[in-house]
Amino acid sequence: MNRTLTKYFRVFFIQLKNNFVREAVYRSNLFTMLFVDIIWIAVEFSLFGVIYANTPTLAGWTQPQVYFFLGIFFASDALFTTFFQRNFWNFSDLVNKGELDILLTKPIHPLFLALTRWMNITAIFNLFFGIAIAIRYAEPAGFSGGMRWALLPGWLAVGVLTAIVVRFAFSIWIFWTERSFALSRMYYQFFALATKPDALYPGWVRYVILTFLPFAFIGSVPARALIHGLEMREFLTIVFVLSGFFIFDLFFWKKGLKRYQSASS
Amino acid sequence: MSEIVIQVDNVRRSFTSTQKGEGLKGTVELLFNPKVKSHDALKGVSFKIESGAFVGLIGANGAGKTTLLKILSGLIPPSSGEATVLGQKPFDRSLSFRHQISLVMGQKAQLWWDLPAVDAFDLLKAIYEIPDAVYRERIDTLAELLDVKRLMQTQIRRLSLGERMKMELIGALIHWPKVIFLDEPTIGLDVLAAHKLREFLRVFNQKEKATIILTSHNMDDIERLCSRVMIMKTGELIFDGDPNQLTKKGECRLRIRFMEKKSIEELSALSGVPADHIEAETTSETTSEGEDSNDSGAALPTAFFNIQRTEATKVLQSIMSKTSIIDMGIEETSLEKVIQRIYEGEPAGLVERK
Amino acid sequence: MLRLKWRIAALKNGLQDATAYRIEFLLQLIGSAGVPALIQWLLWYAIFKIGGQTEVAGMSYTDLLAYTWMSVLFSQVRGGDHDFALMEMIRSGGLSNYLLRPVSPVEFVYIRGVAEKLFVAGICLVIGMIASFAVGLNPLHLLGAMILALLGNIIHYQLGAMIATLAFLWEEAYAILMVKNMVVQILSGELIPLNLFPANMQWVWKMTPFYLYVYGPTQFALGRWNLTEFGNAILIACAWIVFFTVGIKVTWKFGIKRYLSLGG
Repeated sequence: MNRTLTKYFRVFFIQLKNNFVREAVYRSNLFTMLFVDIIWIAVEFSLFGVIYANTPTLAGWTQPQVYFFLGIFFASDALFTTFFQRNFWNFSDLVNKGELDILLTKPIHPLFLALTRWMNITAIFNLFFGIAIAIRYAEPAGFSGGMRWALLPGWLAVGVLTAIVVRFAFSIWIFWTERSFALSRMYYQFFALATKPDALYPGWVRYVILTFLPFAFIGSVPARALIHGLEMREFLTIVFVLSGFFIFDLFFWKKGLKRYQSASS
Repeated sequence: MSEIVIQVDNVRRSFTSTQKGEGLKGTVELLFNPKVKSHDALKGVSFKIESGAFVGLIGANGAGKTTLLKILSGLIPPSSGEATVLGQKPFDRSLSFRHQISLVMGQKAQLWWDLPAVDAFDLLKAIYEIPDAVYRERIDTLAELLDVKRLMQTQIRRLSLGERMKMELIGALIHWPKVIFLDEPTIGLDVLAAHKLREFLRVFNQKEKATIILTSHNMDDIERLCSRVMIMKTGELIFDGDPNQLTKKGECRLRIRFMEKKSIEELSALSGVPADHIEAETTSETTSEGEDSNDSGAALPTAFFNIQRTEATKVLQSIMSKTSIIDMGIEETSLEKVIQRIYEGEPAGLVERK
Repeated sequence: MLRLKWRIAALKNGLQDATAYRIEFLLQLIGSAGVPALIQWLLWYAIFKIGGQTEVAGMSYTDLLAYTWMSVLFSQVRGGDHDFALMEMIRSGGLSNYLLRPVSPVEFVYIRGVAEKLFVAGICLVIGMIASFAVGLNPLHLLGAMILALLGNIIHYQLGAMIATLAFLWEEAYAILMVKNMVVQILSGELIPLNLFPANMQWVWKMTPFYLYVYGPTQFALGRWNLTEFGNAILIACAWIVFFTVGIKVTWKFGIKRYLSLGG
């Protein structure tokens, strides 16, 4: 067991190293992509800036609280972008170009290899940027800080994990349809729901983004948990929903593999 | 020496392809109510391969070669029958199995495009848990053999196709697999690069006693490397043996077109060649090489005599002294020709079954 | 008049391409219209229903909702990603194929890409006019608004095409196109009515042409702009188009020189 773990860690670090080497070659490109993300957050900031110029609170959220949320959301998204995003975009090559064949013959879990292959390490800067924003607005947002900052990595992990399992659920259909691109795009359309605090949403939308499409777990729930804390019921929902997605993903991955093995020739 | 590493018993494999309708509606249908069509890619194949063998697997496109390789490397299960590789069922894909085999597909690259080869090998080293010292020694050996030492630090994308393939091979062999499946490794390579690759495979096979199965459309690959060749046709194994048996050194094929149809017995009497070395054809589509099959001759009876080259003159004289012929020619029995005839549906007479 | 032929062919081809998978096309349309509308709506909901406000920048909850629904019609018409296609052509060398043909690549890419938007514009126009009629707005205003939105579509592509020529210089203009799209998102009025901007920030959106894409048409269709304001907007749009036409000519000329001298 221990040996297996060592192997997986080693593979991960070598992928990390290799990606770093690759990015060093294309540095200018990656910095411009960083810039795109920063503009993106700037747009979100100005949007709320305009809104708060007209109203003091939004569904009970003050302006610093929303900015705190944006920081957390941005950090969590940066983590996903750094380590996973591109792997999901390339998911279709896995099946359509038969790259999966090679992965399946390697003595390691094929999904692990597939999901650690491409990284975008430069995007890690946005993680720090996001955290910096969160720190800047923590006090006016009413976050007590201190030892409670220790909870942040845990909540960021929840955010990334959510993005992974949900994105996976949108990608897995590649085994059944060659045009999974439309579904990937749909993911990003729904993803827009994650860019606002979940408290803003009217009842049923809020219910959906806390259960079937748990985009609220990416940034909103973590930010809320840090500021106000969560009820036991909400903790249980997170655990329940994430494990549900995990099982769903795994089930369809296995089914997809089976189909791949019966259809490919 | 003669330990069996691969055993295949009556392996069948059929593919069900689902007919997909248009758009998302089609996709939804596919999920809940798929329309299935099935076809047999392998129709009961059996053979055994001994350790250290270098086996060539050939056949026209769609003959089932790749399917067979996929079954043997554990990518897909057989529909029925049993395949055993290294004492295991490949489709279980146990860790130990995956540690001992390697699959190289000429058209699919596993190396990172933007990185030098060494970095990609690093990753494989971690995946296969190869100790440092062993790893360095192997890289040295392989790079030496393939003559790519100076290219190890070059980005893969900057390498030529031949060099890239060499790197792919190093990547595929770095864990010293006991069984290696090569799916058209020389595809797209120029003559020289293909030659070098073959030399390497030959040496590696002899030195390391790895069992290698290779598919190729390049008969040079088979002739120079394989001590045994398996020919597949529409999912069946139609020949399994020494490639020399197919070409029989010094043999040639005498083609004669007669004025009128003659039976095999008559032909045998005319020529003095035993009946089982003669094939007669009367169909209008005489599919000999075709370079001289003009329209008038197409319907005329043609016979083929498989004889020693030295006897050709004698046989021809014997025939011409007794009857008149329209046209004649000698065809080389290169492996390529033989195989081509087999693909085209040569009467099974020539083809031996084991 | 012969020159019209390839343009029609390109339009047809683009439309077929966009609608080849009908259900996906429809889902895509619903998704790209529904999600932004939903987000707008929930903002107003949060301000008015949860927050208890009665008026924001002189607009009531109903006013804002009307803006939201109307703006969806025009935000479907704006944009398109054919400027990305143009950039990709320059970057990958695919442009060479077009240089040999007797058509302008910039225009060809636009016409092929705009086909889908024209189709969508047609649908939106019908829906919008019926809706206008139903709620007592002037349906002719909607027609005018749609024309303004289409002019906006041209401006948007022209700006994109000018940015795409940067790909002649750098390998990648992708990031800048992305940035442009994000800026457009907020300054076009697709996310919020631009008059919500604080008074001292109004100049920000007024100095770009982006408000002509969504905000302008929506205001006119809702009867919040009078004819003079509308006429001004049309004139301003035309001025931008002239400006960018010249701009593209210049940057393209320089770019092509470089492209050819580098051998593609």
